[in-house]
Amino acid sequence: MIDLTIDGRAVQVPPGATIWEAARLLGIDLPVLCHDPRLEPVGVCRLCLVEVGEPKLTAACVRGAEDGMEVRTSSERLEVCRRGLVELLLSDYPIDASGRPKTGSDALLALASELGADWPDRRSRSGETGEAPRSRTEPAGGIPAGQGRPLDGTSKVIFVDHQACILCDRCIRGCDDLQVNEVMGRTGKGYQTRIAFDLDAPMGESTCVSCGECEKVCPTGALSLRVWEEPPKDAAGSGNTGWEVL
Amino acid sequence: MRLIRELERLQAERGYLDEASLGELSSRLGVPLYRLEGLVSFYPHFKTEPAPPVTISVCRDMSCHLAGAEHVADALRKELAGREGLAVEEASCLGCCELAPAARVNGHPCQLQDAAELASSMPEGDPVPDGEKPPWRSDPYAEDERYGVLRAALESPSPTDEAERIVEALQESGLRGMGGAGFPAGLKWKLVRSEEARPKYVVCNADESEPGTFKDRVIMEELPHLVVEGIALGAFVVGAEKGIIYLRHEYGRAKAALEAELDRARASGLLGSGVLGSDFSLEIEIFVSPGGYILGEETALLEALEDRRGEPRNKPPFPGQVGLDGLPTLMNNVETLALVPGILRRGVPWWESAGRDGHAGLKFISVSGHVERPGVYEIPTGTTVAELIELAGGVSDDRALKAFAPGGASSNFLPADHADVPIDFATIEERGSMMGSGALVVVGEGTPLLPLAANVVRFFRNESCGKCVPCRLGTQKATEMLEVTLESGVPLDWSVIRKLDLLLRETSICGLGYVALNPLTSVAEHWPEEVPGCSAEAPGSGIVAPHGQR
Repeated sequence: MIDLTIDGRAVQVPPGATIWEAARLLGIDLPVLCHDPRLEPVGVCRLCLVEVGEPKLTAACVRGAEDGMEVRTSSERLEVCRRGLVELLLSDYPIDASGRPKTGSDALLALASELGADWPDRRSRSGETGEAPRSRTEPAGGIPAGQGRPLDGTSKVIFVDHQACILCDRCIRGCDDLQVNEVMGRTGKGYQTRIAFDLDAPMGESTCVSCGECEKVCPTGALSLRVWEEPPKDAAGSGNTGWEVL
Repeated sequence: MRLIRELERLQAERGYLDEASLGELSSRLGVPLYRLEGLVSFYPHFKTEPAPPVTISVCRDMSCHLAGAEHVADALRKELAGREGLAVEEASCLGCCELAPAARVNGHPCQLQDAAELASSMPEGDPVPDGEKPPWRSDPYAEDERYGVLRAALESPSPTDEAERIVEALQESGLRGMGGAGFPAGLKWKLVRSEEARPKYVVCNADESEPGTFKDRVIMEELPHLVVEGIALGAFVVGAEKGIIYLRHEYGRAKAALEAELDRARASGLLGSGVLGSDFSLEIEIFVSPGGYILGEETALLEALEDRRGEPRNKPPFPGQVGLDGLPTLMNNVETLALVPGILRRGVPWWESAGRDGHAGLKFISVSGHVERPGVYEIPTGTTVAELIELAGGVSDDRALKAFAPGGASSNFLPADHADVPIDFATIEERGSMMGSGALVVVGEGTPLLPLAANVVRFFRNESCGKCVPCRLGTQKATEMLEVTLESGVPLDWSVIRKLDLLLRETSICGLGYVALNPLTSVAEHWPEEVPGCSAEAPGSGIVAPHGQR
């Protein structure tokens, strides 16, 4: 077994356990957007960074626990970094994205309020409800807003808002590793990177089987549920299969 | 390697990668389409549309920017407007900064001014220029003595003792990695040697792509036998039987030189099964990178060798323990490997005396920017920047020196009064910059520095892989802010620049993110009058302690 301390408290974990897992044993919930215990960790959102007495911070979700390690999970340095990272993400996040129906929680927005990020969330404004054009973005913490990413409404089950996507890779691992449907990946490089289906086909024209895993694990509502109503009785037989509510 | 090579083969066959071919490849190899999309869209060498018969790739990065590439390229575009079968595309640093402003016409390096003429008369092949090659002091051999160190090692009655003696000599020499990070080479060899897992690999990182850097190209073109012997010695020491040279796509001449050298080595029994009748076997192959600066990052390089998008891994573990296919991998830069035979052949005292004023060894430096004779110079370590600029003919057009970057695009700019700095790792760090990739970029008086800094930040934005949040978004936001300031003169919101710099340094997965705003913050530090809105405070101060103090 491996012995380490986290925020001064001793904990024992089996070899191969990560710092994030060790922290959980102590009831310490490190903030994460890209990690989910069911998925192989990738360490890309950087929110679970901790101090381990090395010059660089390290991502707890991917870093293995080591004997004698002294981990610090909170400090001014970490708080400033985490808030800054959330502001970076929010500067590209549509202020209306939270309005769409989804299975999971709005993890990004929950973290934003927990960390005190500076961002004009639509929900915090009066008189603007429902008026914001889709995919409108606002600066966050002084960081200029970015926009221009597409929407994909070709799937009857899931709506894709690329502007709300933070490339946490959860949907991709959900699709390829959990469900082994092997449809989702990334296309492009750098700031132009997007999630993609097959050879970057629209979702509705891809080999997606609409299992819903990607939507379920999405922490931002970039993948949301489409809600359809039964067609009215008098439309039966007309070939009309329903109307989308949102 | 298989999948990327298959894509290269398909593209060579058809000119580009169309959906039908990718679909067929997916079925044939049982590889999901999303993986092919991930690769094809990530690597700049892959094309999804047919290319015209002639493509002119124009570099717009650091040294070419200093040579006015933007203006020359605009003129070229006007001249060639409407020409059929010809495309002009922007490319990242091409690794021939001595030609700045540089271009490639269907892969042939040239000066941008000559691109139009070359496009009309496409010559066949890519001949190595004639003329006497200068003798390099790092080469300890007359032609018939080559591979002398390897031969001696293999003839030793105790390979174990011999390997340990080599590690000791390298540690004693103080040789450091010449790719950028400067990790002690002897220690790296020792660590990989001590790993128990088998097989092991040796990877020569020949993906030099930092703006201003082209020394490895010249070393491979002119001293390929030292590179091959360095790999073989590394393999002998750590117990590897396979070496891979990860070569950047643009280095066609270096590839030809290395291939010819590998053929010679094979013919002489220096490669293959049972080298020179010993128990040691070694194969070396060349893998041509499908493109991108980030592939020079060691773990991104491994991802590419494993047929994935070249996105750096979280470290630790380091490649020495968990490298290619999860196995111990010795990875060294071209120059580092090429210096090993000389050190071992002539001994550590020679290496120590090869430097100057208490500095050990020799150093290859790419010199570009505002100098009369840009090129690769092999200098005694400890030579000052001012002396090297003189060696390169002085600052061009009789200008005074204004600034220089001692270690390529990612190294902090220093003002002219630091030109007395002896070129060595520690001495440059003391002045607040770094040896980096050994690329001296010279900036003459009269050059505005904010556009230059913005140019370099844009390079890092273009070359960010997009994997981690701070680098993917931070480089883009900083680039946008700089573009606004350059276009309109609106001052930068310096508190936001400091925040972005802090996030990049503290939270990025790899070195690209750490250094992405170095050019901007160092210009602000030394020339605050050129950066509207900047404050004298060091980046990160007032937020948390500066990174250097931890």
